Amino acid sequence: MLEASWEGLLLVLQWKPFAFMLVGIVVGFWVGLLPGIGGATTLALMLPFIYTMQPVEAFAFLLGMHSVVATTGDITSILFGVPGEATTAAIILDGHAMAKRGEAGRALGAALTASLIGALIGAAALALAIPVVRPLVLTFGSPELFMLAIVGLAFIASLSAQGARGMLRGFLAGGLGMMLAMVGQDPQAGVGRFTLDTLYLWQGLDLVPVLVGLFAIPEIIDLAVRGTSIAGDAPVGRISHGALQGMKDVFRHISLTIRCALIGTFVGITPGLGGAVAQWMAYGHATQSARNPEERKGFGAGDVRGVIGPGAACNSKEGGALIPTIAFGVPGSTSMAILLGGFFLLGLVPGPDMLTKHLSLTYSLVWTIVLANIIAVAVCVLLLNRLAGLTSVPGHRLIPVILVLVFIGSFTSNSHYADILVTLLFGAVGYFMVTAGWPRAPLVLGLVLGKIAENYLYISVARYEAAWLSRPVVMVLLAIAVSVVCYPVYQAWRARRRGTRA
Amino acid sequence: MHNKASLGLALAIAALSGWAIFSALEWPWKAKLFPMVIGIPLLCLALAEVLWVVFGSSAGAKAADFKLTQDQPPEVVRRRTLVATAWIGGFFVAIMLLGFPIAVPLLVVAYLRFEGKESWLLSGAFALMVWGAFYGLFERLLHLPFPPGWLLEWLGLA
Repeated sequence: MLEASWEGLLLVLQWKPFAFMLVGIVVGFWVGLLPGIGGATTLALMLPFIYTMQPVEAFAFLLGMHSVVATTGDITSILFGVPGEATTAAIILDGHAMAKRGEAGRALGAALTASLIGALIGAAALALAIPVVRPLVLTFGSPELFMLAIVGLAFIASLSAQGARGMLRGFLAGGLGMMLAMVGQDPQAGVGRFTLDTLYLWQGLDLVPVLVGLFAIPEIIDLAVRGTSIAGDAPVGRISHGALQGMKDVFRHISLTIRCALIGTFVGITPGLGGAVAQWMAYGHATQSARNPEERKGFGAGDVRGVIGPGAACNSKEGGALIPTIAFGVPGSTSMAILLGGFFLLGLVPGPDMLTKHLSLTYSLVWTIVLANIIAVAVCVLLLNRLAGLTSVPGHRLIPVILVLVFIGSFTSNSHYADILVTLLFGAVGYFMVTAGWPRAPLVLGLVLGKIAENYLYISVARYEAAWLSRPVVMVLLAIAVSVVCYPVYQAWRARRRGTRA
Repeated sequence: MHNKASLGLALAIAALSGWAIFSALEWPWKAKLFPMVIGIPLLCLALAEVLWVVFGSSAGAKAADFKLTQDQPPEVVRRRTLVATAWIGGFFVAIMLLGFPIAVPLLVVAYLRFEGKESWLLSGAFALMVWGAFYGLFERLLHLPFPPGWLLEWLGLA
């Protein structure tokens, strides 16, 4: 195991993967700063570039980029009260309040240091989980893997929106994704399914044009609708003062930092919860650290612990989210679902192979998270003063550049104009989903998991007929899926009952 | 708008899953197993959402996802959405007719000049920069094939 870990480090430190990681860090750095583009969107945009890369280069690039998005997203959140990422919203409460009272440097110092510690804890959790998860994964057969796909979909569908209706929409989106995964030649019987008599659809819907359209087009339209510079008219000045104080604050509250990082890791491991949940859970835990009601009142008004908690959780979740993605092929979040797409583009299948044949590659992912975060935080600290000016780039200068990236990204996946049409179609679908308040993450997960789930279901039925349903692990997983669906309904019922009593 | 969009999506999914189930009836069991397993519950769920929109309360569920801006008046949102959609559609048409190498700088100049109200000089310089990045990265470095546009082919200029 140690040997594989060492090999993983050496793989990342080769000049080409390291150079690709640096490129990824630069891209992620900017993406995190700009509220107009999300980390998941950029991952989708960057997927076409990995076709010609080796797996270690591709993951150094993608993960290097993704690992730093939340770190730099904190900067925009603190400075302007605009979440750089959906996952950095909780840090606004105290971080922006600190910035407004002239402690932006301290808040940024605290956020960046907490992010780094969080990322290291998340990466350590991933490294430690590999030997534990490996024997477990190796005992799983097709029926168990099919049920895992269903559990993952149940998690993300039930937790990506609120209430019973939100859950219904989550399942609708997930089901739609699975239906879309069926387009093309059926792998078992060779029948062309839902191809509309076109050759293009015979090989199925390509993941890249779908993802690019679904995520980038609605954000481009929204940026155009806002019609302003992305950070509005917030003042830009020197902010480096006090950064050192913020770093000291993190070590003064090191126990809180570690606890919040562990919360983030746990949320990351749980499929479907995602970073948006992790930051609020960590923030809630940070407020609990107040010793008396007076101290609790300080939260929301600029308590540095309100910055440290979400900062640590936000980055630690990445290491955690990679555990189910690599070990079971069940992505913990939208970004991980897209990253999972990257595995398939490179011809890798998450699961046992990643923990045996490709173990050093798996460890290279751990090292990428560690190195990317160290580099990003060091650069952020050096550039603190200049960073403030970046968020005032007018939206109309960004839109054509993003559009060019969207269309090129889509076209290059198959060098086919129909890919762009698919992007536009799914751009419209994504826009309507956002307008209607439907979550997009389950659709992506359904699309990614559809082919795998169908394959495992077919093997299970063909090999065991209906008996596969009575396998113990399958029954446990089925119970988990049912409870994942029922628990929010039960919670809502209990809240209603309490309300009636009161 | 929220409910209308939801109704539209639910009806579209119901129609899609209905068509999927109907199409799958003719296939061998190997090919129709998964479409049936997914299609039938999906149709039921879509119809439940339709009924919920038509007969249920108007309050929608909040998704843990990106939210569209609420800061602008509805008529401004509608107009700017249409304009943005037209630019996106226009770029697609330009790519088809002229090919990427011409459409990319053309879009950047046109968008900055007419939508962003930037000067011709800045628009041109910015377009040159974006085109340089496009040409250097995709054509020279990655050698990705970008076909000439249909119009250029038709005129014999490609």
